[in-house]
Amino acid sequence: MNSMMIGNLSLGAAVLMAAASLFTAVAAVKFQSDRMLVWGRRLLMLFGIAIVTGSAALMTALVNSDFQNAYVASYTERALPMGYKIAAFWAGQEGSLLFWALLLAGMSAVAVRQFRSRGRTEQSVMLGTLALVCGFFTALMLFAANPFAQLPVTAVDGQGLNPMLQDPYMIAHPPLLFVGYAGYTIPWAMLLAALIAGRKDNQWIGATRKWLMISWLFLTVGIILGAKWAYIELGWGGYWAWDPVENASLLPWLTGTALLHSVMVQQHRGMFKIWNASLIAVTFLLCIFGTYLTRSGIVQSVHSFGESVIGTFFLVFLGVCVLLSLVVILRRRALLKSEHEVQGLMTREGAFLALNVLLVLMTLTTLVGTIFPVISGAVLDEPVSVGQSFYHTAVIPISLALLAVMSIGPLLGYGKDATKKLIASLIVPGIAGAVAVGVAVALGLTNPWALICTAITTVAVFSIGSGLIQAVRQRRKIEDEGPLTATLRVIDNNHRRYGGQFVHLGVVMLMVGVAGSSLFSTKQTFQLTPGESADLNGYTVTRGELNQFRQANYTAIEAHVTLTPSDAIGGAELSLHPQLRFYDKSMGGEHDHPSAHVALDSTLTRDIYMTLAGWEDDGKLVALEAIINPLIAWIWIGGIVMTLGAIFCLMPRLMRETAHVHAPETSSKTAINRPRTLAPATVPLALAGEGQCVLQTPATTTHCPETSS
Amino acid sequence: MTHVRVKMLIAGLVLIASVGYLAVAGVKSGWVYYLQVDDFLQGTDYQARRVRLYGLVSEENIEVYPARLTARFDLLGDNNSLTIHYQGVVPDTFKPGVEVMVEGKLDDTRIFQADVLMTKCASKYQSEEHAKRLEQAQ
Repeated sequence: MNSMMIGNLSLGAAVLMAAASLFTAVAAVKFQSDRMLVWGRRLLMLFGIAIVTGSAALMTALVNSDFQNAYVASYTERALPMGYKIAAFWAGQEGSLLFWALLLAGMSAVAVRQFRSRGRTEQSVMLGTLALVCGFFTALMLFAANPFAQLPVTAVDGQGLNPMLQDPYMIAHPPLLFVGYAGYTIPWAMLLAALIAGRKDNQWIGATRKWLMISWLFLTVGIILGAKWAYIELGWGGYWAWDPVENASLLPWLTGTALLHSVMVQQHRGMFKIWNASLIAVTFLLCIFGTYLTRSGIVQSVHSFGESVIGTFFLVFLGVCVLLSLVVILRRRALLKSEHEVQGLMTREGAFLALNVLLVLMTLTTLVGTIFPVISGAVLDEPVSVGQSFYHTAVIPISLALLAVMSIGPLLGYGKDATKKLIASLIVPGIAGAVAVGVAVALGLTNPWALICTAITTVAVFSIGSGLIQAVRQRRKIEDEGPLTATLRVIDNNHRRYGGQFVHLGVVMLMVGVAGSSLFSTKQTFQLTPGESADLNGYTVTRGELNQFRQANYTAIEAHVTLTPSDAIGGAELSLHPQLRFYDKSMGGEHDHPSAHVALDSTLTRDIYMTLAGWEDDGKLVALEAIINPLIAWIWIGGIVMTLGAIFCLMPRLMRETAHVHAPETSSKTAINRPRTLAPATVPLALAGEGQCVLQTPATTTHCPETSS
Repeated sequence: MTHVRVKMLIAGLVLIASVGYLAVAGVKSGWVYYLQVDDFLQGTDYQARRVRLYGLVSEENIEVYPARLTARFDLLGDNNSLTIHYQGVVPDTFKPGVEVMVEGKLDDTRIFQADVLMTKCASKYQSEEHAKRLEQAQ
C-alpha cells in the first residue's frame, strides 16, 4: 500500500469520524445521553488519529520525494534541501488545508478534554461544533483539494518549491498563522456551547481567554514573520503592502486584540457580554472569510491565488457559520444582558470600550478597503481599487488614537470616573511627551505625523514606567524589600497586567519603526561601471566585481558593493553583496525569472537595503537600488517584545511570595489553580488598581485577579 | 438617558463620524480605476486620469534595459494593445507573456507613461503546473 492510498483512506475515515461525532453530539443533546457524549468524544479522537495518519503519509511522500503524488511533484524537487521539503507540507493549497485540519484535530482533542467537567449539553455542543469545523476541512480536501492525487506516470523530478518561498521565514510564517486561525475555532465552539447550554455566569468566558491569548500570540508572530519575509524576500524595501492576503491575516488579529481586552471586563464586571459574544464569532468568521478571500481569487491580489472551486466551499461554510452564530446569539440574548453600566468615559471600562470601538472601526475600514474592488465592481462598471493611500489616510489616524487610548487605559481603574486621578498620573508622562516633541523640533523634525507619533509614544512609555514605579513604591511602604526585589515581585504578582504592559511597550516600539520607515524612507538608484562611485546619504557607494557562483539548486550573480562612510557618519566600511538568483527548476517554467536576494545592513537607527536591479553589456553597467529605512529594526524588536509579553501573560507565577504576605493556603500554586470567582463586594477593592492588589491584606489577596487562569 | 450615556453616545458618534470622514478621504485619495486595455481605450474620461491597467505583455516589440531602469512594451487587451513606457526598476518576474499591472497616465503621444510595474507573481497556493498535473491525476 503506498502513501497515497493510506492518505486517501485516512481522509475518508476522518470525514466519516467527524460526521459521526457531530451526529452523536447532536443525539447526546436530544436524548440527554451521556453514553452518546462519550462516543462522540471517542469518535473525535479517532478523527484526530486519522488526520495524524494522513499527515504522516503526506510527510513521508514529501521527504522521500514520491513524485507519483501530484502535490509532491508540484511543490518539491530532488535537490531541494530537506527543510524545504518538510515546509512544502504547508506551501501549497492542499497541504496547507491538511495542516490546518491537523492543528484543529490537536486543539479539539485538548479542548474537549479540558471540558470534561462541564455539563452534558455544553460539552455536546462544543464537541458538535468542533466536529463540524473538522469535518468541513477534511471534506474540502477529499472533494476539492486532495493532497493525495496520484499522477498516471511518476514524474522524473518535481517542479520545485517557488523560489520566493525558499526562505527560513517562510518555513515558520504560514504554520504560525494557521495555529492562530485554527485556535480561534475553540472560543467560538465554547461560545456556542455556553449559550446553548444557557450559562448565566461569566466563568466560561475566563476559560476562553487562554485560547484567545494563545491564538493571538501565534497570529502576532505569524504576521510579523510574514512582514519580515516580505521585507527580505520581495525586494521592494517594504514589509506591508495592504495586499488582500496580508489584510486577511490582519482582520482577525484586530478583532482578536479587541477581545483580549473586552473579555477582561466581562470577567471582572459582567459587562460587554453581547459585544464579546459577537466578537468571538466575528474573529472566527474573519479567519474563514480571510481564507475564502485569499483562495477564491475574488479579489485581485499580487499574490494571485488562481480561481478555484474551494472558494465556493468556503463561502457556503462561512454562510452556515454566520447563520449559526447569529441564531444562537439572538435567541440567547437574554443571557447576554450587562450586569453593570459604564459609569464614565474615564474608567477602565470606558477605555476598553473606546479601544474596542476603535479596533472594530479599523477592522471595518480595512475590510472595506480590501473588498472595495468587489463592491465598486458591483456598483460601477469598472472595479476601482483604493490602493495604499486609502489605508494611509484612514488607518494611520485610527492607530494613533489607539496608541493614545493604550497609553492612558492602564492608568484607570474600574468603576468610578477618575478624571482627576488620571490627570495627576499623566503629569509626568505629559511633561516627558512635551519635552520629547521639543527636542524633536529642535533636531529639525517638522513632519506633523512624526511629531504626533513622538508625543504619543513618549507618553505611552512614561505612563507604563510611572505605573510600575508607583506600584513598587506602594509595595515598599509595606514590605521590607530592595527596589529590585520589589519590582520583580510586583511584576510577578500580576502577570496579566505587566505582561500586557510589556506587549504595549512592544506595540510602541513597532509604531516607532513603522513611523520612521514609512515617513522617512528614501530610495535611490545607481547605474555604475566597475570602480565607479556615487553618493548615498553620507556614504560613498563604490561598485566592485560582478561574480557568478553556483549553489545546490540555483546559480547566483552577485554584485560587490562597498559603502564608505563620510567623516560625519563615521564607523567601519560596509560591504554589501546583493544577488540575483536563477533557480534551476524555475528557468523555462512558470517562474522563469531570477529572484532578487537583498543585501542588508541593519542597525537600530537605519537599514541600508540594496538590491541588484539588473545589468547590461555583460556586467559592464550595473543598476543598483538602495533604500534607506530609518528605525525599521524597531518593528522586529517590537514584535519580539510583544511575543515575550504575551508569553509572560500566559506563564504561572515564578517567585514564591513571602510567608507573611500570603497565608499558607494562598501559596502561589493554589493561587494559580483557584477558580476565578470574584465575590462582587470585594471586586472594587481588589480591582481598584490591579497592579497593587498584592498590598491588600491576605484575605483580599485571595480575590486578586492577577493570576493567569 | 443618564448623563454618562449621553456623553458616551456623543463620543461614539464623533468617533464614527471621524472614521467615516477618514474613510471617505481615503477612498478619494486612493481612487484608482483598475482596467483592461480595451476598456481604457474606449472611455475617454479614463484617459485623462491616472489609472491602473492590467493585461499580458506582448511577445513582440519588447525592449528592456534593466541597468538603465526602463522598459518599453505593448500591453495586450482582447482586441487592442497599448504601448507602455515604464521607468523604474524592472521586476525580476517581468518577461514577454506574463500578466502585469501598470500604473500611470497616457501622454500626448498616446504612450502610457508608467511608474509602477508589478507582475502577478506565481501563486503561493496553486501553481498552474500543479493545476495541469491535477487534470492528469486520477
